Amino acid sequence: MDDTRRRLRGLPALPGLALTASLTLGATTASAQELVWARYGDIDSLDPHRATSTLSMQVWDQIYDTLLAFDMEGNPGPNMAASWEASEDGLEYTFTLNEGIMCHDGTPFDANDVKFTIDRAFGDTPSLTKTSWGPITDVTVVDPLTFKVTLASKFGAFLPFLADSFSSMICDSNTAETFGSTTAIGTGPFSLDEWVKGSEVALSKNPDYVNYGEPYDNEGAPHIDRLLIRTVPEAQTRLAALRTGEVHIAEPPFDDIEAIKEAGELEIMVAENTGQDVFWEFTTSRAPFDDIRARQAVAYATDPQMAIDIIYGGLTNREWCPVARGVFGNDQEFCKQYGYEYDPEKAKALLAEMGYGPDNPLETTMFVWTGGNRHKLAEIFQSQLAQVGIDAGVEIMDIGTMNARVKAQNEDTTSDEPGTFDMMTWSWYDPDILYQLWHSPGAYSGYQSPELDAMLEETRTTIDPDARLEKVQAVIKYLMENAVHIGLYSPGWEWVFAVRPEVEGFKVGPFLHPNFLDVTVVSGG
Amino acid sequence: MIHSSSTAELADDLATASAPRKRSFWRALLAGPSGLIGLVIVAVLIFAALTAPVIAPYDPLRMAAGPRLDAPSTNYLMGTDDFGRDVLSRIIYGARLTLQIGVIAVGISLSCGLLLGLVAGYSSGWTERVLMRLVDVLFSFTEIVIALACLAIFGVGLTNAMIAIGIASIPFYARVTHSVVLVEKGKPYFEAAVAAGAGHLRLIFLHLLPNVVPTLIVIGTLGVSTAILAAAGLSFLGLGAQPPQPEWGFMLSSSRDLISRAPWMMIFPGLAIATTVLGFNLLGDGIREALDPRQTDR
Amino acid sequence: MGKFILQRLFAALVTIWIATIAVTILIHLVPGDPVRIMYGSFQTTPEELEAIRVRLGLDQPIWTQYLMYLERLVQGDLGRSIVGDQPVLDVLLTRFPATLALTVSSLAIAIVVGMSLGFLAAYKRGTWVDVGAMVLAIVGVSMPHFWLGLLLLFLFALQLQWLPVAGGDWRSLLLPALTLGLANAAVLARLTRSAMIDIFDQDFIRTARAKGLPRSIVLYRHALRSGLVPVVSMLGLQFAYLMGGAIVIENVFAWNGVGRLAIEAVLSRDYPLIQGFILFFATVVALASVVIDIAYAFLDPRIRYS
Repeated sequence: MDDTRRRLRGLPALPGLALTASLTLGATTASAQELVWARYGDIDSLDPHRATSTLSMQVWDQIYDTLLAFDMEGNPGPNMAASWEASEDGLEYTFTLNEGIMCHDGTPFDANDVKFTIDRAFGDTPSLTKTSWGPITDVTVVDPLTFKVTLASKFGAFLPFLADSFSSMICDSNTAETFGSTTAIGTGPFSLDEWVKGSEVALSKNPDYVNYGEPYDNEGAPHIDRLLIRTVPEAQTRLAALRTGEVHIAEPPFDDIEAIKEAGELEIMVAENTGQDVFWEFTTSRAPFDDIRARQAVAYATDPQMAIDIIYGGLTNREWCPVARGVFGNDQEFCKQYGYEYDPEKAKALLAEMGYGPDNPLETTMFVWTGGNRHKLAEIFQSQLAQVGIDAGVEIMDIGTMNARVKAQNEDTTSDEPGTFDMMTWSWYDPDILYQLWHSPGAYSGYQSPELDAMLEETRTTIDPDARLEKVQAVIKYLMENAVHIGLYSPGWEWVFAVRPEVEGFKVGPFLHPNFLDVTVVSGG
Repeated sequence: MIHSSSTAELADDLATASAPRKRSFWRALLAGPSGLIGLVIVAVLIFAALTAPVIAPYDPLRMAAGPRLDAPSTNYLMGTDDFGRDVLSRIIYGARLTLQIGVIAVGISLSCGLLLGLVAGYSSGWTERVLMRLVDVLFSFTEIVIALACLAIFGVGLTNAMIAIGIASIPFYARVTHSVVLVEKGKPYFEAAVAAGAGHLRLIFLHLLPNVVPTLIVIGTLGVSTAILAAAGLSFLGLGAQPPQPEWGFMLSSSRDLISRAPWMMIFPGLAIATTVLGFNLLGDGIREALDPRQTDR
Repeated sequence: MGKFILQRLFAALVTIWIATIAVTILIHLVPGDPVRIMYGSFQTTPEELEAIRVRLGLDQPIWTQYLMYLERLVQGDLGRSIVGDQPVLDVLLTRFPATLALTVSSLAIAIVVGMSLGFLAAYKRGTWVDVGAMVLAIVGVSMPHFWLGLLLLFLFALQLQWLPVAGGDWRSLLLPALTLGLANAAVLARLTRSAMIDIFDQDFIRTARAKGLPRSIVLYRHALRSGLVPVVSMLGLQFAYLMGGAIVIENVFAWNGVGRLAIEAVLSRDYPLIQGFILFFATVVALASVVIDIAYAFLDPRIRYS
């Protein structure tokens, strides 16, 4: 067994790849290179089935790899899986893996590991994002490099999902109780040294890594030897640490960005194609937002353009669609026709129709989650709403709590308290997010209708891109006309990076996946 | 959280102090620097709270009352925040919330603590032992942890924070009341009343209560400062005030991302809290000195 | 002495026992269905919620739940956190050393600064030194800890850049320890001063002085030692308050201890973690006060608690 391992481990070091690696390394790496990346929060878990936060996903990206990979435009292509074939009815996919992929513990990665991962996602404690895997009924190992996935019905978002971090491939040696909290074995470019909860995830480069399909120049192991992902909650502290060189990459405080740019001391990078969408949604199961006029009034009364100009300067964009830029189905012109331009008079008229007025304001509560200066945006919206006679309290909470409370609000149909609305955020690589949010029962048990359900099912079962676009846009139109899902802006969280000058080659892949394959730290910089 | 330090000491001092004579009380209060300065600060605070709409130069919630993040100037004495709101106006309106916090939190802890302490101290025997043991245990949990537990139950928000702080301080007030009652019970006038066959209610409310009140006035005044500090702390942590409330602790917390860009947003709300707390501390000290001149030099 | 130690230990156990009852009740005081609040997030079905309810024993009568809780507790099982699904005890234990380091170092700062200031003020009673020290102390008592923290951070880390801010080494302990230490030094200064004034007024000091003993001996051997007694008796409580104060200060400086964990837990309604934290905190404070009380009893043999 030991011999096999050693032999297999030797395999990916093909001469060509080794050459590329050493050429790129050049003379810059006389000593071990260490890169420190600071972020505002910690991961929730090392287990890709136990968390949903962007912070967690970005770490999984380093430790694990995915069967498919997105190119810079966000289209899925081969990665760990060299090729695949779908049956004619679209219910069976057969994948062939690349040969010689190694887990961090030295065991080979094969079809059994894939089966382990998928079975686990549907197991006793299923993945938190189980439904996004699609209607998988079975995974069969044909031979070590071939496996077959069977679906109960056609699923248009299946392949893109296999390029997303939620489908990270977990090696079947991860059987210890400690998996997810102190251990994690993957096949990604870095292996886990240690997770010091609340402060740091320490990673070392995986010398056996082969880049089969990620859209970066480096085809082998990363150039840097260590990657330290540190939690530094205060933006000011991160900036200070960037200036002293303790930290190489971090999100800066928004209000200091102009000054940073002027001084030229740090490079400011803004991620594109994040898939992030910030939007209004409402508790539609009871008053006041069971009435479409109340929902529309909120949309007319708030001015996202003004708010993002104040809070983010030019760092983000007004987003009209329920799916973000860069995601299939997004079309600003199309969405704008059904959108709600800022018009406080119209909002007042709608409210008056409903019987609200200056002496009788519409009372409600807005939920917002912490971070990314969203609470500041909420304060602006709160003040805009007040001007038309909507008295909205703001409650700030973390995203996990907000998910749970929005759902609880929707399921509580008897309360005398007015229903709430919230600035929800989602980042997804495919319009299938609309299915997950709005197909009954829906992620939040929110707005539902049989008509919408039927339309959403068609977006899943239609595979042909042109036909699917039509179905997706029909859903978009429906959601906007009914004021169910009202886009505000995109991107919205963790998308701005300040980078020290000695760091070269730092790139952010589509859907906000920072990548360190091409990174070098030039000494003496 | 200064409650810890001098509970026993304070209770003893005050319990042994003679009942105040009214006329000399005010004179004594204003004679020392503590009482005078404290009274002035608290008076200014109350004045600001009452007349906020008149004296505040701008609407505290109005955005773009001025340019964003404008440094202090003659137009905006304490500068503007990141929404272009006038910091001074927000601090003036914040005085209302601050007073409200002090009154509500201390009201809760004082009334419940007083009742507990009176009952425990008067009853003696098992009731007393069990009650005071429980109070001691709660006291050792520390106020902040009790407050956090309450907020975990009620959910966050300024009103909930006030209630949580009120509940968290009950053990402290119960302890003080209890120790004063024990001292009073040993005094001749009380023993005389018992001998004369006074009923329980009469003994508690006519004899014990009036003698506990002076101590509680001092403790309550000092307690207002503790409550204000605690509420500001909770708001700072995101567990108390919510936008757009111009609560000082919350204002401090919003200043964190901006301290190098707009330090005034951090300096003035902090000064407001510190001054107010100082005011109530000095006033409390002043009252204590006025009630018990022997302690003046301590 | 043995009896005294046993009594103190028993009292600590009672405290911990009451804490276990309190945390069991806590979950039932939450309005609404705690299981749904905790686990009812993205993509959980009613059946899954019911399974969780059964697994956690929340379908049982409360006294059964309490016994189950104690049973698991004895095995060192405090349940699993909601966020990240980790063993609560592990999470608390990995974070506790940071809190302990912060608390102990700030206690040291508070003792050194507070006692010297109080002693000096008492010794120079009535002079401007006394007045100055006491003004400083009352300002210190009135200042919000977190504001002091922000001011220090602004000055030393951001403006002067003297200290690292994002590292995990001992230097990043300086600012939080200083903040918490100075804030509590004010309390100790006031306490020390009043204790020392009492001592200076006592006969044995006057006698010692009258006997012509050198001033330094009078001060250190007699006055200081007796003056320490009431101050040391407060250290148990001081420790508890520093632990409490650490909760806020850890959040100002992103110091990675249990205090920051507690706030995260409250904000995310991670009840197993909140329960674990309360119990853990109560246990640490109770045990610390036993240790300090015993040390105190050795220091001052005159004192015996009943």
